[in-house]
Amino acid sequence: MAEARTVERFKKRTIWFHWIHTAAFLVLLVTGAMLFLPGLGGPAAGGLTRSIHRIAVIFFVGAPIVYFILNPRMTLHFIKETLTWDKNDFQWVCNAPDYYFGGDEEKMPPQGQVNSGQKMWQFIVLATGILFVISGCLMWFFKDILSPTVFGWSVVVHDVAFLLALLMLLVHIYTGSLHPRMNESFRSMLDGKISKKYARNHYGKWYEKISASDK
Amino acid sequence: MEISRKDFLKGAAGATGLLLLEPPAMALAKESQTHSGMAMLVDVTKCVNCWWCYAACKEYNKLPETVRPDPAQPPALSPDVWTTLHSVKKGDEWVSRKKACNHCTEAACVEVCPTGALSYNKLGFVQYDREKCSGCGYCAEACPFGVPQMEANKTTGVAIMNKCTFCHDRVTNGEPPACAAACTTGAITYGQRAELITEAAERINDLRQHNTEASVYGVDELHGLHVMYVLDDSPEVYGLPTEPEVPPSTIVRDVLRWLGSGLAIAAMAGFGLNYLVARLRMNRGEK
Repeated sequence: MAEARTVERFKKRTIWFHWIHTAAFLVLLVTGAMLFLPGLGGPAAGGLTRSIHRIAVIFFVGAPIVYFILNPRMTLHFIKETLTWDKNDFQWVCNAPDYYFGGDEEKMPPQGQVNSGQKMWQFIVLATGILFVISGCLMWFFKDILSPTVFGWSVVVHDVAFLLALLMLLVHIYTGSLHPRMNESFRSMLDGKISKKYARNHYGKWYEKISASDK
Repeated sequence: MEISRKDFLKGAAGATGLLLLEPPAMALAKESQTHSGMAMLVDVTKCVNCWWCYAACKEYNKLPETVRPDPAQPPALSPDVWTTLHSVKKGDEWVSRKKACNHCTEAACVEVCPTGALSYNKLGFVQYDREKCSGCGYCAEACPFGVPQMEANKTTGVAIMNKCTFCHDRVTNGEPPACAAACTTGAITYGQRAELITEAAERINDLRQHNTEASVYGVDELHGLHVMYVLDDSPEVYGLPTEPEVPPSTIVRDVLRWLGSGLAIAAMAGFGLNYLVARLRMNRGEK
């Protein structure tokens, strides 16, 4: 038989984790926006959405914890990779505007399992996640103890994290599912596979590594 | 009818697709209500600690009765106590200020309320629609007088706020609030704010002849409170902050709303443009 034309990019459990975390975040986003944009406040009356917000948090915080317990090495590798930046990454960022506007693919330095832009997104997810949890816990559990000033600024921190996460999420959704160049990206988050050609073009370093270890 | 600046800004915001946002220039845009609307004037020199205002508030608003109040230990504001006394011992006597919502013209609680449960009534008071309250507690944190009180379950987050409503249904029907109607000594007067300001000035003139500490509170604070005070001492003595303000974080939040919404809309437009250009250049590259 001819050899497989695709390679596995994401494991099933990673895909599950991705979508559970996404769903939780979207619920948090919608129920949170109701307290952020006064024009959306209507459905928050009665406070049901605030309870939903708290239930969604269980999944938003719980999913990464469960994922870490099941896959400690993969998770640590993910965090390490997110935080490791070398000159290739900076080169990539400099060339990125032209690349995303349809420029020459050859100019991009070969990437590992995720490209530098994805690393930026992962960093925002980690950083805003921490900000969300800290400011959220303050507002949830320590409301009675906090001075009004500290409470006020906790809300602001929650807002800032929300805006950073929202803007990067928009970029993530666009580049991950609509951008003409990233045509295999969305499907790979459903079945975990990408074509070898796509892997070679987009994640050259990673592709070389996995093909070498296959032999 | 004249269009107020706030309405104009709202219209302009709507026209630019930012319908969900309040204009940030809230201080600017606030209609000048300083001398308009209805108000109460509370005069500590006329209060005799009878607690009828407290009892009338409880009765009219159907709030559960708790204890027989004592000036030495007045009940604190709570979800069931919308009006109480702040009592100060002077010699052998207790001098008391009626303590409840001050119904600010520029009200921090209204500015932070996400659901519109708190709003400005045309008569000048801060209107509260309990049905719309989400229990977020932003008002309780923002109010410089510590008025809004939360009934809250910390674990589930289910909560609801309570506070003085200015007896909304009474005043909109031309009746004074229950506390003012119950006061027999003239310590609580209800009327046109402009007239009460004049009255307060006259009373303070009289008081100052033998008491230089006497002061009026609430005429200019937060663009004018709709509960003003004639005091025989400085405001701090009666638990009133000298410079009450809407917390600065509220203004930062306003800016973030505009910035965030603007950036999100710009990002969407950017993606559209990016898609077209990228498509075009990639097709050309393939040829």
